[in-house]
Amino acid sequence: MKQVVQARLQRYWDIRAAGNFSFGGTGSGLVLAAALALALGVASPWAVAVGLGFIGLGLFCVWLEIGKPWRAINVLFHPHTSWMTREALLVPPLMAAGAAAVLIDIRFVYLAALFAAGFMYCQARMLLASRGIPAWCQKEIVPLILATALAEGAGAFLVAGGRPQALIVVALVAGILREIARVLYRKGLVAAKLPAATLKWMASREEKGLTALRGLSLACLALALAGVAPTALAIAGGSLAVLAGWGLKAVIIVRAAFTRGQVISHTPTRGRGPTAIVIPS
Amino acid sequence: MSKAATGTAGETKSVPTLCYNCVAGPDFMRVVVEDGVATRVEPNHTAADIHPGRGRPCVRAYGLIQKTYNPHRVLQPMKRTNPKKGRDEYPGFVPISWDEALDTIAARMNEIRAKGLLDEAGLPRVAASFGHGGTPRSYMGSFPAFMASWGPIDFSFGSGQGVKCTHSEHLYGEYWHRAFTVSPDTVLTRFIVSFGSNYEVTGGVCAVRRHADARIRGVKRVQIEPHMSATAACSAEWVPIKPKTDAAFMMAMIHVMLHEVPRGSLDLPFLRDRTSSPYLVGPNGYYLRDADSGKPLVWDENSGRAVAHDTPGIRPALEGNFTVPVAVSHLADQEVMRHENAAARPAFVATVEDMKKYSPEWASEICGVPPAVIRRVANEYVENACVGQTIEIEGRTLPFRPVAVLLGKTVNNGWGAFECCWSRTVLATLVGALEVPGGTLGTTVRLNKGHDNRLVSVVPGEDGFMVSSLNPTSTADWKAKPTGRNAHRTLVPIVGNSAWSQALGPAHLPWLFMEKSPEEWPKQRAPELWITFRTNPAVAFWDADKLTRAIARMPFVVAIAYTFDETNHMADILLPDAADLESTQVVPIGGTKFVEQFWEHQGVALRQKAVEPMGEARDFTWISTELARRTGLIEKYNAAINRGAIGSSLKGANYDFSLPTDQVHDADTIWDAVCKASTAALTDGKEVKDLAWMKENGYFVVPFKRADWYLYPSLADQNLRFELPYQERLMRVGEELKRRLHSQNIHWWDEQLSEYQALPEWHDVPGRWVKAVKAQGLNPDDYPLWGITTKTMIYSAGNNSGVPLMHEVGQNIRGHGGIIMNANTAARLGIEQDDWIEVRSIVDTTRGHAVLVQGCQPDTIVIPGQHEHWKTPFAKDLNFPSLNTVTQMSMELTDATGSGADVVRVSVRKVDGPKERRSA
Amino acid sequence: MTRYAMVADLRRCVGCQACTASCKEANGTPPGVQWRRVVDIEVGEYPDVKRVFVPTGCQHCADPPCMHVCPSTATRQRADGIVTIDYDLCIGCGYCAVACPYEARYKVDTASFAFGDEPSACEEVRHDPKKIGVATKCTFCVDRIDAGRAKGLVPGVDPDATPVCVNTCISGALAFGDIEDPDSNVSRLVRENKSFRMHEEVGTSPGFYYLWDKETP
Repeated sequence: MKQVVQARLQRYWDIRAAGNFSFGGTGSGLVLAAALALALGVASPWAVAVGLGFIGLGLFCVWLEIGKPWRAINVLFHPHTSWMTREALLVPPLMAAGAAAVLIDIRFVYLAALFAAGFMYCQARMLLASRGIPAWCQKEIVPLILATALAEGAGAFLVAGGRPQALIVVALVAGILREIARVLYRKGLVAAKLPAATLKWMASREEKGLTALRGLSLACLALALAGVAPTALAIAGGSLAVLAGWGLKAVIIVRAAFTRGQVISHTPTRGRGPTAIVIPS
Repeated sequence: MSKAATGTAGETKSVPTLCYNCVAGPDFMRVVVEDGVATRVEPNHTAADIHPGRGRPCVRAYGLIQKTYNPHRVLQPMKRTNPKKGRDEYPGFVPISWDEALDTIAARMNEIRAKGLLDEAGLPRVAASFGHGGTPRSYMGSFPAFMASWGPIDFSFGSGQGVKCTHSEHLYGEYWHRAFTVSPDTVLTRFIVSFGSNYEVTGGVCAVRRHADARIRGVKRVQIEPHMSATAACSAEWVPIKPKTDAAFMMAMIHVMLHEVPRGSLDLPFLRDRTSSPYLVGPNGYYLRDADSGKPLVWDENSGRAVAHDTPGIRPALEGNFTVPVAVSHLADQEVMRHENAAARPAFVATVEDMKKYSPEWASEICGVPPAVIRRVANEYVENACVGQTIEIEGRTLPFRPVAVLLGKTVNNGWGAFECCWSRTVLATLVGALEVPGGTLGTTVRLNKGHDNRLVSVVPGEDGFMVSSLNPTSTADWKAKPTGRNAHRTLVPIVGNSAWSQALGPAHLPWLFMEKSPEEWPKQRAPELWITFRTNPAVAFWDADKLTRAIARMPFVVAIAYTFDETNHMADILLPDAADLESTQVVPIGGTKFVEQFWEHQGVALRQKAVEPMGEARDFTWISTELARRTGLIEKYNAAINRGAIGSSLKGANYDFSLPTDQVHDADTIWDAVCKASTAALTDGKEVKDLAWMKENGYFVVPFKRADWYLYPSLADQNLRFELPYQERLMRVGEELKRRLHSQNIHWWDEQLSEYQALPEWHDVPGRWVKAVKAQGLNPDDYPLWGITTKTMIYSAGNNSGVPLMHEVGQNIRGHGGIIMNANTAARLGIEQDDWIEVRSIVDTTRGHAVLVQGCQPDTIVIPGQHEHWKTPFAKDLNFPSLNTVTQMSMELTDATGSGADVVRVSVRKVDGPKERRSA
Repeated sequence: MTRYAMVADLRRCVGCQACTASCKEANGTPPGVQWRRVVDIEVGEYPDVKRVFVPTGCQHCADPPCMHVCPSTATRQRADGIVTIDYDLCIGCGYCAVACPYEARYKVDTASFAFGDEPSACEEVRHDPKKIGVATKCTFCVDRIDAGRAKGLVPGVDPDATPVCVNTCISGALAFGDIEDPDSNVSRLVRENKSFRMHEEVGTSPGFYYLWDKETP
């Protein structure tokens, strides 16, 4: 017999939590982009500073969300298994290395980038560890979060400062990776046979709008690379990548976050009545 | 809000008490009191071994804490300042002192007493209405003694109970087998066919536990009903059926049993010896009787002649056609007809022939259930009946017939209910499963004497049957002039005239008559004083708007008020009584009681004051005593208490705890005497427990014989028969009633008279509701769906709608606060899950959110039992729909017992949101 | 070793919500918070339909995702398997709530009461400010278990050492006890009947067994 599973939206992480994934993703992506730029010969301490700012903004959003903000320090107590603790533990060295890159020597950006990559990875793993939310607890979410953050970082770099050809390439490649990750993620969700609501959001108007934005971003970046109005289109492509990344995370955190619902495998016998195997749908 | 006044700091105690908010109670519980504040309810585990529900109360009991501390409670007496009454009139209640409130009421009552207790029409000037199934009695302290001291009171203004209850079962059940309510012998039964009986929801903790145990044991229950209730959910099989067609299904089952299965599968000895099956029916449909003794004749197979049914040594024939040389028959009004060489057939043959036309194929057209399903259910029923087997109960060998048939509320009231009750009881009779281990049992009696043990009501009556207490229909004794406004003694012979009878009469008629009396009927005036307690007819009865207008015509209303509500909105005086956990009363427990209480103990339990009353709320016993004092009735009041008006008589063979009648006693003194007398009565005076002991221990019980669950042995011992399947007496009574009414030129009850039949004939039962639409000049096609109701345990009784905890947990149950409908039907109408929809009938409209399910007949919508409150705090903000708002209250939909059903033809459409509400 | 577990017999449960209500009262949970509740599930299509009442709440998993994700170590697991929350450590990040596959965790950020902003007398007694802004969930009535055991009582057998929902259950659907003890009530029930645990594919090894049929001998 079929069970139409009544999954419901989680009510614990709202747009503030999504802010951490959005701004944290953009910020850490930006630090990574700054490191790549330096490797290409472009020193961009401003990008590191803005990146750290975004990360701080994201953490501020979370701080606003937690129930006991004045004991936020307890977040550090569980590095053994908690990706949230690990994310938090990476913040001080990331901030320190970033500050050093801005204030002392830009080459500290390589160290900062290492921590930023870790930070980004922790964010992705945080979602993966959320076993109550099938849309998050899907292994393909890790590359999706990483690629999106990188695309956002590279995009932000193009918007706010230097626009070396190589960074446009990076942004474009990150965008393409993001799209591949997005396709794989969707396939993974479908294959996992999740409650209908978890897939329904993928056909939502918001999601269609975001897909259009991402497509437009890639088109702009490709045209910029081809030399068509390179400055304007790089800025447009970059900003669209940032906005689309934020949108994607807002949707994943707030709209796609359906629970597993209560699922039974068999109906019980009632007296001499029959039982039936239950197939969730 | 400040904490309640009692209790010492840091003290936590657990107080044993009980919950009796529904007829399935009372249930044991304990109240945890911390620093004088009741904080939670818990089971009374000490009672686990004596209580079929293992000492546990149901979900409603857990709402009593919030009920106690509800900030919306009326906590001081109040009087109305706006003389105009109506839903849109602001009552302008202002606080007054208890003295002023009681003096005002007493003055009014003394004035009435001076004029005479009956008005010009011979009707009581004082009326009272109480809610759910007699349970308010367990919360009104010594008020019954006050009412007894007062004299005639009109209890006929219905409040949604009685006529909406399992009404026909109450009347016919008690008539046929002392079954005010009916239960399977769940602990032994193997197969239950339930037509909408919602045991898992309204059967109380005893039913839930017994049925859960039975499921594990391997019972098979087939639930036949339009909507998949929790009971259907917990059954082995759900069979969807069209509303109000259950009788057709059952008649087809009888057809299968009489025309398809081998005769030997039936319990022929039971039919022969314990029923009227062998009684010979003459050509005029009346029994052929011995010309000298007047006793019904049977055909003796031994001697080959007709003899009186109780002739020793005979073997009455069940089948055959005979000629009786000389006999008489008793027609209406003691007319005797003489017969010579009359053609005679046993009542069994008459039944077999009558049921021939009701095949499963015939029923299928009506019920929408495939013939094969009806046939299978009938065959399984017979196969499981174990005809011929016996079981030993407490040393006595009894028939073992583990099959039962149950009827739900809407099956059991209004048109078609008689046919259902008859069919159900005949189904039991055919396999000998009536009142024997494993079978279909009654629980208790209310129209006969013997509330604590129904077996005492098994006394020989006429024609070899148990005595019956019908209201007289003879020329000499028929009450042409109603003694109460619902005319129960005038119109409904079978309801009798016990303390419960009036409330079980056609309790909606007084409301209808307030608006418009029928022709040739005494003009009725509203009672000069109406007392209400734990009742809210303004929303709990049909056609709620009409009811509200009628209530507004009551000149002086005294409402015992918990919060403001839709009925006491029209009151003149509000009196705050101490609530469930704040007052004291002794309540009988155990034995056999509805709904499924079959105990091996009986006794008394104490509902005690766990916390001090909030505000100025007062114990109802104190209120009653004060009223008695102020109306000069204190001696009669005390005498009534001494006689046993509020429990056991205070004086017995071996004890005397009578109260001096000339003194004013406080509540504890009264209940102390009741505790002592009750315990003494249970033990022949050997054990006497006072109030202090009861407060500590909560209850006192003595053993109750398991064999006393069954009526069969009492009949067998007295060689009595069940008055089934043939209803000769009812046919005669109906004829007499017709003559009496017609002699008064009353013809508006003629349709109801058609129900008085020896054997029921199917009439288009559901069609009556369709005709009701046509009668209003409207097109039935505009109302294509059935509207019915169902209950959840949370809201099934006890006025829980103002308790937020109940609403919160209720939301876990589908349909709560909404309108349930079949998902495919909804899709056809463009309705999606949670859309607001409007249900329209010829009476009114109601709105709620759509709850789409698969488990519902496609042509039926279900509004769970809840009311469209417009005044009750908290509840009024929930915007719940109510079937009562749209259900018709009318003479044409009233059956012969005076009941109607929660059924109505409706249409459904999608709307934007809740109904605009008028202010209150 | 001891591992406490709950058994819910789906054949018995009638969905009455007595457990839900008594849990709320015993634990003083605010409106909307239901550590124990019974969900009403429909399966199939008309007319072949089943409706099943499923008691649920914290499953006290052997491998609790909530504990792994908790950044503050507020959520822990006792040696007897009971998963606990230290309200003094919890920062109310809600991570555990999204990590729980059973929707068992709650967090309220402001105090609310049944009848509005003001607590009634009973709520005043029960109100615990410690539970505001932190994660809460079913504790298996751990205080009752500990207090009962200290008095030599057996959880699942003696009411004073047994979770309130089990004591309350009117159909006898809920049972509690030590699943590691082969002679316990719950071990016997699980042995003698067919059962499943919810979302076992997630790898949580829940301590909550749903019985659905007799074990074929």
